Amino acid sequence: MTWNFQEIQEGMQKEVAALATEEQLEAFRVKFLGRKGVIAEIYDSLANLSKEEKPVVGKKANELRAEINRLLEIKKQEIKEKKVLGEPLDVTIPGVVSPVGHKHILTQTIDEICGLFESMGFIVREGPEIETEFNNFAALNIPLDHPSRDAFDTFYLQESDPEHDGRYLLLRSHTSPGQIRIMKEHKPPLAVVIPGKVYRPDAVDASHSFMFHQIEGLLVDQEVKFSDLKGLLTVFCKKLFGEDIKMRFRPHFFPFTEPSAEVDISCYICQAKGCSVCGRKGWLEIMGCGMVHPKVFEAVGYAKGKYTGLAFGLGVERIAMLKYGIQDIRLFFENDFRFLKQF
Amino acid sequence: MKISFTWLKDYVSIGISKEMLAHKLTMAGFEVEKISTVGGDTVFELEITPNRPDCLNMFGMTRELSAILNKTRRIPKIQKLKIPNKKFDIEILDKEDCPRYVGTLIEGITICDAPSWMTKRLSALGIRPINNVVDITNFCLLETGQPLHAFDYDKLIGGRIVVRRAKPGETIQTIDGVKRQLDETILVIADEKRPVAIAGIMGSKDTEVTSQTKNVLLESAYFNPVLIRRAARKVGLSSDSSYRFERGVDFDMVATSAGRACSLIFECAGGKITKRTDRVVMKVKKGNLPIQITIDQINKCLGAVLTGMKCKNILKKLGFEVEMVKKDTLKIITPSFRGDIKDSIDIIEEISRIIGYDHLPESLPQVKFSNMPLDVKRQQRKHLRDLLTAQGFSEIVTYSMINQKSLEKTFQEDLRGVRIQNPLTQEQEIMRPSMMPSHLSVVISNMNHGQKDLKFFEMGKIYTVGGEKETLALTMTGLNADDWRKTIKDMVGFYDLKGAVEQTLDRLGIQRVVFEANEMTFLERGQRACVLIGGQQAGVIGKIQDDVLKQWDIKHADVFFGQIDLERIYQEPKEERRYESISDYPSITRDMSLAIPIGVTACGIEAQIRKAVEKETNVFLGKLKFIEEYRGNKVPEGYRGMTFSLTYQARQSRTLRDEEVLVVHEKVWDALTKELGAIRR
Repeated sequence: MTWNFQEIQEGMQKEVAALATEEQLEAFRVKFLGRKGVIAEIYDSLANLSKEEKPVVGKKANELRAEINRLLEIKKQEIKEKKVLGEPLDVTIPGVVSPVGHKHILTQTIDEICGLFESMGFIVREGPEIETEFNNFAALNIPLDHPSRDAFDTFYLQESDPEHDGRYLLLRSHTSPGQIRIMKEHKPPLAVVIPGKVYRPDAVDASHSFMFHQIEGLLVDQEVKFSDLKGLLTVFCKKLFGEDIKMRFRPHFFPFTEPSAEVDISCYICQAKGCSVCGRKGWLEIMGCGMVHPKVFEAVGYAKGKYTGLAFGLGVERIAMLKYGIQDIRLFFENDFRFLKQF
Repeated sequence: MKISFTWLKDYVSIGISKEMLAHKLTMAGFEVEKISTVGGDTVFELEITPNRPDCLNMFGMTRELSAILNKTRRIPKIQKLKIPNKKFDIEILDKEDCPRYVGTLIEGITICDAPSWMTKRLSALGIRPINNVVDITNFCLLETGQPLHAFDYDKLIGGRIVVRRAKPGETIQTIDGVKRQLDETILVIADEKRPVAIAGIMGSKDTEVTSQTKNVLLESAYFNPVLIRRAARKVGLSSDSSYRFERGVDFDMVATSAGRACSLIFECAGGKITKRTDRVVMKVKKGNLPIQITIDQINKCLGAVLTGMKCKNILKKLGFEVEMVKKDTLKIITPSFRGDIKDSIDIIEEISRIIGYDHLPESLPQVKFSNMPLDVKRQQRKHLRDLLTAQGFSEIVTYSMINQKSLEKTFQEDLRGVRIQNPLTQEQEIMRPSMMPSHLSVVISNMNHGQKDLKFFEMGKIYTVGGEKETLALTMTGLNADDWRKTIKDMVGFYDLKGAVEQTLDRLGIQRVVFEANEMTFLERGQRACVLIGGQQAGVIGKIQDDVLKQWDIKHADVFFGQIDLERIYQEPKEERRYESISDYPSITRDMSLAIPIGVTACGIEAQIRKAVEKETNVFLGKLKFIEEYRGNKVPEGYRGMTFSLTYQARQSRTLRDEEVLVVHEKVWDALTKELGAIRR
């Protein structure tokens, strides 16, 4: 009797492919490998073969048996897995998350800016929002009834200043009184940044708010120079806005610094060509700065001429608006979740 | 302030384009905000900072430009006038109010239009031409910076001038036609009977120069800047004059400017000076200050290497008297128009400004290590934000000011917020004494946009008469986390909020936290608790009353709110974490299902369980976990069901035996039965 191994093999393969349960698997095994199975039958028939044929058929039978065992093993694994895991998952269905909240974009911006200064050796400090006239104005060389106060319209409280008769407490109109508090408490060298809320009676519109955030910076030591101010703020702006920006320092007036400057960066929205964001100037004003005025050192009781320092202040909302393309300052305080979740 | 390009070119040779000029002005501290073309002229709008009143005119700006561009200036020569001996009658009641007043009577003038070269300049700068005399006063103000006023002399009752405070009840109709109420804080120029001008701000309609005027009294004065500033604010009127007076005019220019105006009047309107008085009742010392500075000082401050010659040249161009002594020292006398220059630092600013900050070197500062203590609050604040966002809360920032009504709406009207004296609107009338109104308004505004599932927190201040207090507030409403596999969605509840607060405090290392039922009016009865830390009240949590929600138009929603005093958290000592060795031996866990009389709290049961196991010498309680609460008819009336899971561990390093645990577990049962009236379930 001759065996058509090819036919047997093909038939076997078809049957293996159709196996779905462990019972079918067993039936298949018996059919091919059982005591009366196909393989056994082939071996039994060897006795009737010629000397030349015997090794040829025997070898083929061995190979077939190995192949069946191999396929059986694979199938067995497959059926077992299917039984344990069930149908395969649709891995494209969205995963289930435990939602993480969003830090407010102002917090993120404050943290980023303060973090940059911390990396340069500054310490972050905070001061109170309710301030005295002395800290908010007089100590900063801003006299009463002087036009230099026009830039600092201020909310006054119906609470008297316990330290000054007839004077009322106020809501700080800038973070600069924080400088005064730090210097009254500590002697140089000092390197601090002071973030916080400030208040000004401004009518609310897309770019004005009666409450906003500022960050104040102060570096005082024995030989701080104007060139240091330029260098420090250049490094800061490039870290915050990118290495490619251009900068300029424009002379300005602040009562508590001298020389004073405003810092502009080239408008990166229009590549300094002039657009609505930069008011067609090609430059964006981002902070005020200067060398600490000797009168301020005098007000906090530092020895005359002993120290020099640099100071700067910036508006957090303005920076965030520029950085993230936010066009209305009110969005920060409306707390619409469609806004909050973007950051 | 507006300046005209053609006018500038008359007084100083510019030699560069208008764009370049705008850039140079900006970089010297006069920011050009706008460039426009008016009637063939180019007009720059400049921001002049309040320290530079001397630049609010053409003489001043061209002086600056001569320094910026290093060019010479050629301003009109002011002719010496023939001054008659006859004096005009001027009385100044308070020398502090008006240190100097120059009155010049010019008779026999002809009123007509001013020459077109003059009216063109005025129009370009936004000043409407009126007639030759009025236009000349305006022209001189723009040119010299000294505000002038011309009265129709024949309308001055008594033919004399009194500088005095207004009397109570006095009024004046100003040239703009508005009748204004005066009082004794306001300085006026009066004739024999009535005020004819609000000093330094605006003249009266009655005495203005008209086409019929024949004789004019020209006023040039120095008024107390503070007085003018207050009066301008009080009467709500700011003019080109008051703007300059309140910033301070040049005391020494008062008579000179009057002279300039007189010669222009002769030229354009004829007439003759018949009387003149220059009354100086008090010398106002401005400028003429000696300052010494070394070149080394300048360079040290700027980190630059400037030469003495360069510095000297700049200062000379700016009108300072400068002398170089001992090779490296500048002896400087400041000019009268630079009252802002008082010290060597001011000189350094002048030099650096004219050189241009962009031309000064840049260096990196040495930031020294300081032993200033770190702000521990900031670290905890950061940690809190991380913990809360990790639990799904988003951070909000709301205004610190609210209106009184929102407190009433929130049933918190008994809280006293700090009032603001000068709010712009009612929305800012008080500093909030609670965060709840702000949070409810965030809830409703989000709900109005279809966002009903909200979890948020804020870290900010609340304000009371005692001052400001840092506070954490949490709000949650709507569905818990969204899981598409669940068919029944969970709504947030009291225990979600409590869990968030508990976990947050625990992770901050705060141990002594207790929640106690309390009686806050704005929170729903039976769903409100106060948070005690170390036995002291630190906050409240609970479900906001439906009545409150109704006031805020929040419908079909439960809102949970908590407010915690952060100052209390900052002060509370934090647990110092120490490693506790982990047992290699297996523990044994036994559940305990009991019915307990209503009124006994979970906290009370837990304490009892711990107490019972504590006495054991061989066994301790590794973990005590609350499993569930049951209310219903499977427990006797007046009882509720509770299940705890107790994990026992051997005190010694050995495997615990079942029999040992059984004995202890029974003892716990006995204690609960005896002490708390528990029944086994």
